[in-house]
Amino acid sequence: MARRLPITQTDKDVHPTVLALGQKMAIFGIDESIARLEATLLAFKKVIESYTTPPGNTLARHLTPHVLNPQIEYLSACRPMCFSMGNAIRWLKLQVSKIDPDVPDFEAKKLLCASIDAFIQERIEVADVVITEKAADCIHDKMTVLVYGRNSLVEAALLLAHSMGKKFNIIIIDDPSDLKGQGLATKLIEKGIRVTYSGDFGALQSHVELADIIFFGAEGMFSNGALYGRAGTCDVAIAAKDHGKRVYTLCETINITDRVSTDSLTYNEIHPDYCSGKSFRLLYDTTPSDYLSIVVTEISSAQPTSVSYLLRKLEDSN
Amino acid sequence: MSAQKGAYTPSLEKFLDTLKSRPVQASVELLVSLLKRRQIKGSEACATATAHILLQVVARDKWTNVDQLLGRIQLIGKKLVAAQPHELATGNIVRRVLGLIRDEASEDRNDTATNSSRPASPIPAPSHASSPTKPVRPPALATIGSFARTQSMFNLLSDPNVFPPTGSNASTPGQVSGASTPILSIQATNVSALRSEVIDGIQEIMDEIKSVDEQVQTYADIFIHPGDYILVYQPSRTVQKFLARAASRRKFTVFLVVDPSSAADSDSHYASLFKSMSSSGSNVITILNSGLMAYMSRVDKVILGARAITAQGGVVVDAGAAAIARAARERRRTVIVLGGVYKLSSESKLLPESQIEWGDPSKHVNFADGALVSHVKVKNAVSEFLPADHVDTYITNLGAHAQENLHTIVADHYKEEDIKFELYGKAQR
Repeated sequence: MARRLPITQTDKDVHPTVLALGQKMAIFGIDESIARLEATLLAFKKVIESYTTPPGNTLARHLTPHVLNPQIEYLSACRPMCFSMGNAIRWLKLQVSKIDPDVPDFEAKKLLCASIDAFIQERIEVADVVITEKAADCIHDKMTVLVYGRNSLVEAALLLAHSMGKKFNIIIIDDPSDLKGQGLATKLIEKGIRVTYSGDFGALQSHVELADIIFFGAEGMFSNGALYGRAGTCDVAIAAKDHGKRVYTLCETINITDRVSTDSLTYNEIHPDYCSGKSFRLLYDTTPSDYLSIVVTEISSAQPTSVSYLLRKLEDSN
Repeated sequence: MSAQKGAYTPSLEKFLDTLKSRPVQASVELLVSLLKRRQIKGSEACATATAHILLQVVARDKWTNVDQLLGRIQLIGKKLVAAQPHELATGNIVRRVLGLIRDEASEDRNDTATNSSRPASPIPAPSHASSPTKPVRPPALATIGSFARTQSMFNLLSDPNVFPPTGSNASTPGQVSGASTPILSIQATNVSALRSEVIDGIQEIMDEIKSVDEQVQTYADIFIHPGDYILVYQPSRTVQKFLARAASRRKFTVFLVVDPSSAADSDSHYASLFKSMSSSGSNVITILNSGLMAYMSRVDKVILGARAITAQGGVVVDAGAAAIARAARERRRTVIVLGGVYKLSSESKLLPESQIEWGDPSKHVNFADGALVSHVKVKNAVSEFLPADHVDTYITNLGAHAQENLHTIVADHYKEEDIKFELYGKAQR
């Protein structure tokens, strides 16, 4: 749960950029897993740029425990880290440890920043382009696409498909507690896409029945192929299965975790504004792989159960 | 709720208060418009209003024979149903009253038949003595008038000697055959007796509607066990009382799911539930999610209030409840539906377009949001249909029923000819 840590109580070693980022995450100013990841990496780049190895230490030994760790602790105190952040931070620590002690400070820092840039480009930016294109290819003329809430990947895919000249309808099912889908609706109608909007789960089955395909954005994917997504995703997925509709999950590979979850309560987050003994709201839920048809990543479009294979492939390439 | 808004907001209470001071036809028209504007909504309010208006029709309208009355009720019933076609309770009450009139009339007819048969022919042929739709009464018994007459309250109250059958009328009753709704003509003098009988019957229906909550909650401790986790969705008063009753005997936890848009005032809305639950040591936890699959692994039972129940076991529920029941089915959790017998409709299945009632789209989309209002098709369901296979048990004021038993209850409460009568005809096409 995000804790709204006051700036005055934070560790003195926390870098100002990270300080600001943490506050922003705590109030859900940056919400999506991939956006948080990118912001975190950019902030860490700033941290590394302003770092100088103290005399008598080596960068590889000193940076991680004395500089990076306080930042990470602070960030996860502001809001629990998402799977992609965990994955990227593990990767970053590995890169730091690989730095040769003989390399001068200046060059080592340049090297680290360059690899962070490359990582962002490869795993986030290019990945998004590839996934968006693949997803847009799945949309055909006269189709009705059902989406749940707002997700930047899904939004990009819909806009791309529209700019390719495809004519299709959108049904937006929204989570009544945040109504982010309305932002998506506004964006789509500006482009002239026909939108049907339902603010809650009323008559969910009838909405799903009208759809041809369903797009979900993923907050994370478990290695058993289960989707970790916005709370309510599973209910929509069940309705989709009832009506035999194809469910596409759009997910960058960085969001895949090697953890396994079979229910929604093992890994989850409670909304900090709605949390007391009397009432609360879960932010996410877990959708078992049975309810998903295809997971679209930058590497492949495949069955959700192939996620663990992707994970292994990625580990090999690192 | 509407009473607080202002003294001029129409409501069920105000409608009932002014019912007697208004001509019957004016009341009918008023009720139709109240129903159309959804100023009277909810199955209990609709059922009560319908029962009251029909009572007025029976009591104050001029009718000289049963057919006239039946026709009048059918006509008004159609109007009321058309005003709010999704509310099955209205039609249920209309059919109950029709059945009631038929019952009283046929008893009365048998009575006149026995009376009239005596002077006409001492040993009448059975086919002449009684209507073909009724079981044939043994002639021997029929001749003992007083014996046969004890069968109904009506006969006990109205002394046959006061209304001796006249010769012209005596030949007609009971001899008409073949028609599914036999033309009944009864003496004008009997009208007032029949009238009071039907009025009594309608009042019994009203009492039944009022006492549903009390009767349903007696089954609470059979179904709720200590330590259970019960999930309820926007609980109606029936469901709240059911939980409160169980809480007086057992300790369990309620997951209360409320609509996030009304979550702010849920505390006041469900205050009595919170109070009765906490005073007995049970917990209420409010859940502010709308997708409930995440919680199903922790839930033992889901209890839903019905808006209406069809003869096949399908249930009309608040919008959003179907997704919850679906999730419960996925995890094999028990789904219990509560509702009075007056909600049990003889309709066996609903047409697809009448399964969902769409309502006010400004619930989630602000009307000031011009772009969305003018370009987006905003849909907001008010109620939806829950298929029978998502429900495990139905608890009514008559007890707990399996899906297969509902047919029998329908048969007990409605007459064949009223079930066939197309109340929904125009409204549903």
